[in-house]
Amino acid sequence: MKKLLFLTFATLLLISCSNDDDPQTDPIPPPAAYEKGILVTNEGPFNNGSGTITYVSEDYATIAQNIYRTVNGKELGNIVQSMGFQDQNAYIVVSNSAKIMIANRYTFESVDSIKIGLENPRYFMGDAGNKGYVTDWGDPNDNSDDYVAVLDLRTNTIASTIPVAFGPERMVSYNNKIYVAHQGAYGQNNLVSVISGSSLESTITVGDVPNSMMISGNTLYVLCGGNPSYTGNETAGSLIKIDLSTGQVSQTFTFESTQHPTNLTMDGTSLFYSLDGKVYKLDTASISLPGTDIINGNFYALQAKDGKLYATDADDFASKGSLLIYDLSTNQQIQDFQTGIVPGGIYFND
Amino acid sequence: MKRNGFHIILAFFLCTVSAYAQLDSIQQLPEVMLTDSKLVHFSKGFKLEKLNDSIVERNATSLTETLRYNSSIYFKENGFGMASSPSFRGTNAAQTAVIWNGININSVFTGQTDFNTISPLNYNEISIRSGGGGVQYGSGAVGGSIHLNNTFSFEKIDTTQVELNYGSFSTVGGNANTTQTWGDHYLNVGMDFISSENDYDYVGKNQKNNHGEFLRFVAKVNEARSLKRGVANWNSEYTYNDRNFSGSLNTIGKDSYKDISTRNLWQLQQTVGIFNTKASVAHLFEQYRYFPDSEKPRYDEGRANTFIGALQSEILFQQKLRINGKVEYSYINAEGDNVGENSRKTLAAVLLMNHKISDYFSYGINIRKEFLNDFDNPFLFSADAKWKVSKNYALRLNGSKNYRVPTFNDLFWYAGGNINLQPETSYQVELGQEFSFGKLKADLAAYYISSEDLIKWVPGNGGIWKPVNINKTRNYGAEVVVNYSVNFLNKHTLGFTANYSYTKAEDLEKEKQLIYVPFHKATGTLQYNFKTLLVYFQGLYNGEAYTTTDNSYAVKAYEIFNLGMEYTFSSNPQITFGGRLKNAFNVYYENVAYRPMPSRNIQLFLKFNI
Repeated sequence: MKKLLFLTFATLLLISCSNDDDPQTDPIPPPAAYEKGILVTNEGPFNNGSGTITYVSEDYATIAQNIYRTVNGKELGNIVQSMGFQDQNAYIVVSNSAKIMIANRYTFESVDSIKIGLENPRYFMGDAGNKGYVTDWGDPNDNSDDYVAVLDLRTNTIASTIPVAFGPERMVSYNNKIYVAHQGAYGQNNLVSVISGSSLESTITVGDVPNSMMISGNTLYVLCGGNPSYTGNETAGSLIKIDLSTGQVSQTFTFESTQHPTNLTMDGTSLFYSLDGKVYKLDTASISLPGTDIINGNFYALQAKDGKLYATDADDFASKGSLLIYDLSTNQQIQDFQTGIVPGGIYFND
Repeated sequence: MKRNGFHIILAFFLCTVSAYAQLDSIQQLPEVMLTDSKLVHFSKGFKLEKLNDSIVERNATSLTETLRYNSSIYFKENGFGMASSPSFRGTNAAQTAVIWNGININSVFTGQTDFNTISPLNYNEISIRSGGGGVQYGSGAVGGSIHLNNTFSFEKIDTTQVELNYGSFSTVGGNANTTQTWGDHYLNVGMDFISSENDYDYVGKNQKNNHGEFLRFVAKVNEARSLKRGVANWNSEYTYNDRNFSGSLNTIGKDSYKDISTRNLWQLQQTVGIFNTKASVAHLFEQYRYFPDSEKPRYDEGRANTFIGALQSEILFQQKLRINGKVEYSYINAEGDNVGENSRKTLAAVLLMNHKISDYFSYGINIRKEFLNDFDNPFLFSADAKWKVSKNYALRLNGSKNYRVPTFNDLFWYAGGNINLQPETSYQVELGQEFSFGKLKADLAAYYISSEDLIKWVPGNGGIWKPVNINKTRNYGAEVVVNYSVNFLNKHTLGFTANYSYTKAEDLEKEKQLIYVPFHKATGTLQYNFKTLLVYFQGLYNGEAYTTTDNSYAVKAYEIFNLGMEYTFSSNPQITFGGRLKNAFNVYYENVAYRPMPSRNIQLFLKFNI
């Protein structure tokens, strides 16, 4: 009887050795399948995995995960930090793998990649004249080797590099100039660099930890998070207005000392940002902090466009996140889509 | 790897010493004493597996390998030789205690032991004790504990062994070990090193493991002296690891890690009347240096000193009732670039009791209470019983409450450390059945573990991650161990050992399997002996293990096989040589997502018994 039991277990052991599931593969889509819609870059699991891109069509009828791999059969790489567009192309910045993957923004067919000369690339910004800019931390533990790389988009190579202050992140362009926010890599910084052509023209001192920017007319809004409390030198967040015709700070609005806002975005004359689990709304004509709280949620990325607010939830950063869409006329959620792991960027593929 | 030279010199020194050792190979089985005898006396109702020397030697590259092929523990290894943490019965990496001669040696900073930093050849005995051991071994003995013990004896021993290894990926290793007794003295000195370029191919990926070089050097001295009424002994070991950390399939490895640890234990044991009393003092030192870029001099450092003083007394009434009372004081002082300087004092009182009612039935009750702590350590208890129903069948039952204290990283890490953390706690029960029919032996165990207040780092305000006592888990599973051997045709022996485990480890909030806990794991070894020839075939099946908390991604299941051979010259029995073909079918596999393990490779060894 007992021997029978052993046999049963031995059999179980053999049976259990034979299930081996293959990963599910998405069906191959038609060409230009990703035109007109929302693209979400998903960072992917830190260290041990690949980032992905999720597509949601404009009419919300189609959702496709991992579109770069679906089209090209290969993965993007580790930590898909951000994406930028220029002409027909999407430039996907893969920070930990130290590269930029280039794909056609409508079909997502691979075009090229840039792997030489990048260390910890963060953001891409296209510019006229076949030029592109990439912010790069260099060695994140070294505050003196940070740079902005100037790309030649005809050859997809780095034409030159511009040494800048540490922790360059997001960029916006206005009137042939590139404005770079220095959030501060692993530390904190408080500058906006102004780049013209291939050289650093000037720097503008803003609040601590400038994390997002928006341009309206000739005004640049810079949202600064302030130094977090663990630094031992906590500073309040602030919203700063820069007059781009003079390059001077024209107005500073300060949050309360323990408030650290992020994710500035804009739709029409309204600004939106995240703070302590809420989304706030400001009217550019009469700014008064903190503004009106309109939506609850801890969002990792935020974009406002045409009366809608697009927000991502990264959950526990170790499982699939989601893209939530709100109607800004009612502040009610109207859509909820699953994304990849750690959805960090929202883009519109017009 | 600047210290390479120093280690080679030391190795030579040790070899020379052993070469001068007397040539006297009278072998007898001495009466062996354990430095941690409570492991045997107070674990009767627990599953305790001892890995014998031949098993250890077959997978001696690291303790990770030894246990991966011979137990149901899963190792999350970041590529071969890199950081390696265990999951024992589905519990987390800090819930497996590593016990060196009775002392918990898990890192003060991480609460874990990196199983690749430990040479399995440094000990006389490696045992796996499954289930809760918090009462005896303190924090972290939740899933189970791994015991690394040095033994001693005062019978005549004079053995010296020197082994040299050479293998694929420019792997070289050496091991020298001598044990001598004279009069009332016992002395054991040994060293072991391994160094490897570790530049294996990622099977089918057209990529190589480019930044995974490692070096490990360990040395040990174990000494004992017989006294009038007892024994005095000293155990000491030194470990040095220098590793570059491999990249992954899509990242380039840049960082490196160097760590040093020393462990010293002095014990004085005296028997007065019915009291067997032991006083012990121990010192543990650990230091790590993490280099974000191995080419640059910048590093983060951490250093910790642990001092332990303990007094225990044991009595055995009429060979039936054994009671052990112990008071242990420990003082930890740690300093690190990311944690500042902090200390912790703990005073623990432990009472262990085992009562043998008859040759067929015994039970035990154990309790532990801690004082002086920064946090509210729970009162711990365990109870166990063993019933030999017949000569073929025995039953085991145990239940316990266990805990894990927050580590210094959890408490003080800059930024995010949370000084308000409380210990993780867990309750568990286990039922075991042991079968024995001649040379066929089997063990079936089923367990249930319920854990709460598990420490998890979660993203907080401003993107800073912070540990909180938040998770609740439920683990249950079954384990089977089968052993069989048969002799045939005079001098031929065929042996078979197999392990199978089913592990369900559930996050109760998400109702999902915990990451890096495979449902199924099986290992098996088929061994054939003829005279002095040994051939073995070793297999491992590792089931799919999820890598994301929503179970959306997984590392795939894999099977790998190793083939080994050893031969001792009949004309010159002092010399044994052999080799292993690892990953014989050249299978791609990974234990951590995107971290490939080695392609097919060979290891050769030559061993001299002097």
